[in-house]
Amino acid sequence: MRLPSEQDFSSRLRSPAVSSRVGVWLGVCFAVAFLTGLISHASQVTDQVIPFPASPSWGYRVTQGLHVTAGTAAVPLLLVKLWTVFHRLFTRPPRAARALLLHALERVSIGVLVASAIFMLVTGLANAAQWYPWSFSFRSTHYAIAWVAIGSLVIHVAVQLPVIRKALGEDVDSTDQDRDGGGAGGVGGGGSPTGEEPAEAGRTSSRGVLTRRGLLRSTWLATGVAVLATAGSTVPALRRISVFGVRSGDGPAGIPINKSAKSADVLGSATSSSYRLTVVNGDREVVLSRADLLAMPQRREELPIACVEGWSASGTWGGVRVRDLLDLVDAPAGSDVKVDSLQESGPFRSSLLQGNFADHPLTLLAVELEGEPLAIDHGYPCRIIAPNRPGVLQTKWVDRLEVV
Amino acid sequence: MNGRLLLGGLGAGVAAYGAVLLLGQDLADLLDIAVWLTVGVLVHDAVLAPLTIVSGLLVARWVPGPLRAPLATGFLVLGATTLLAVPVLGRFGARPDNPTLLDRDYLTGWVVLAALTALGVAAATGLRVVARRSRGPRAGG
Repeated sequence: MRLPSEQDFSSRLRSPAVSSRVGVWLGVCFAVAFLTGLISHASQVTDQVIPFPASPSWGYRVTQGLHVTAGTAAVPLLLVKLWTVFHRLFTRPPRAARALLLHALERVSIGVLVASAIFMLVTGLANAAQWYPWSFSFRSTHYAIAWVAIGSLVIHVAVQLPVIRKALGEDVDSTDQDRDGGGAGGVGGGGSPTGEEPAEAGRTSSRGVLTRRGLLRSTWLATGVAVLATAGSTVPALRRISVFGVRSGDGPAGIPINKSAKSADVLGSATSSSYRLTVVNGDREVVLSRADLLAMPQRREELPIACVEGWSASGTWGGVRVRDLLDLVDAPAGSDVKVDSLQESGPFRSSLLQGNFADHPLTLLAVELEGEPLAIDHGYPCRIIAPNRPGVLQTKWVDRLEVV
Repeated sequence: MNGRLLLGGLGAGVAAYGAVLLLGQDLADLLDIAVWLTVGVLVHDAVLAPLTIVSGLLVARWVPGPLRAPLATGFLVLGATTLLAVPVLGRFGARPDNPTLLDRDYLTGWVVLAALTALGVAAATGLRVVARRSRGPRAGG
């Protein structure tokens, strides 16, 4: 057996005319995922000089939903894109030293692009389903490789720009930029030299399985199906048809949960009659029971819980404004507040509410959801719910608010 | 050309920033990251791509004309969607303490999707056969 050569792949679908068109949409998906990923990263860095904005309240829900949707849509696009250029893997390197060096550099950049692109989609999809079959930290690695992927994508576009522009300016059936070997007998991958039949008028695929337009339409169809099959985790209207959604949208009071009270090991402390909330500002300290919280002015706000994994749901939360609690200890306007949970360990046992969030009228220490007392898995006795904020920072089972 | 050089340089800078961010990790994690970066490419290049190419060859050789294109479309739709649904189909992240996570019957969902795909393929094939007949026996191929 020998390794295949570039000429063995004779399908006329393997043309810049096709790969450019798929590539444009793949590039759009990666750009959207990258930008919304940067937003998500910024939303989780809570000690920055320019604080993340607290409005619009649905902002993070939209950007993170877009992030996961764009990544999901990229799966069929990437598969087809790689199929249309697969023959390039077997390109014979040139002999001349300078050409060989350029060739090697381009190969390396493509290798980095393909490896990082597949890595981003695989780790992202696994994370959405809370599956972590690796030892590295998902968040910091997904973030770092994102820069590698988008950087090598920009290099790829820079290298291929003339080919892309020419291909997009011509008809999809144009063979101007095709390889020499890609002439006849195109069959989904390896053409048979015999059995050629005359091409249909106006079609370039002779004995091919699909025409170029047919392949493109199939690609858009597969992308649409991929989105519809998953987006229901964040778009309520799609819940019933998203058969692969990571959440059906069900849960206590109609809202799913990410971390249960059991896994946070707070079942005892959260239901204990000795539970107290402590609000601290320097040497000022107020200690409140849940009954004291319920005796304070209650607000009702509709706010989404939007998780970094991409699912989201909107709920009507009832509770005390965080600002009202801060007033009890005379915290000045704009104070940053550290929020502690009963949870004794774990990366999200405490969070920082920057001043703009702490002072926002929509930011509550919630004690109820949809008119029912907060379920233990939603953070009973009380939890933070703030606008435009990722779910991991909406700290549950809160027992301490401290001005820092 | 200068614009492209600039763009390429920008891309190299952005990618290098990502590499610098990676260097903050400890060695064991870096090795694991390297393994996952490599395995993804290998699984695609050595398993998925050859499988797709062989399927294409088989379809071109053995499948009658009017069924070919619809079958290829169906293969692409169902194949790509199945691949991205592997984490939910396997329910690898499911946890007994959280019934709201991965709370759908994904296998039934897959069967429904496969059935709809088969239906679509059959309908498209039927339309092609009818269109071919009305064009006369010499048309198509």
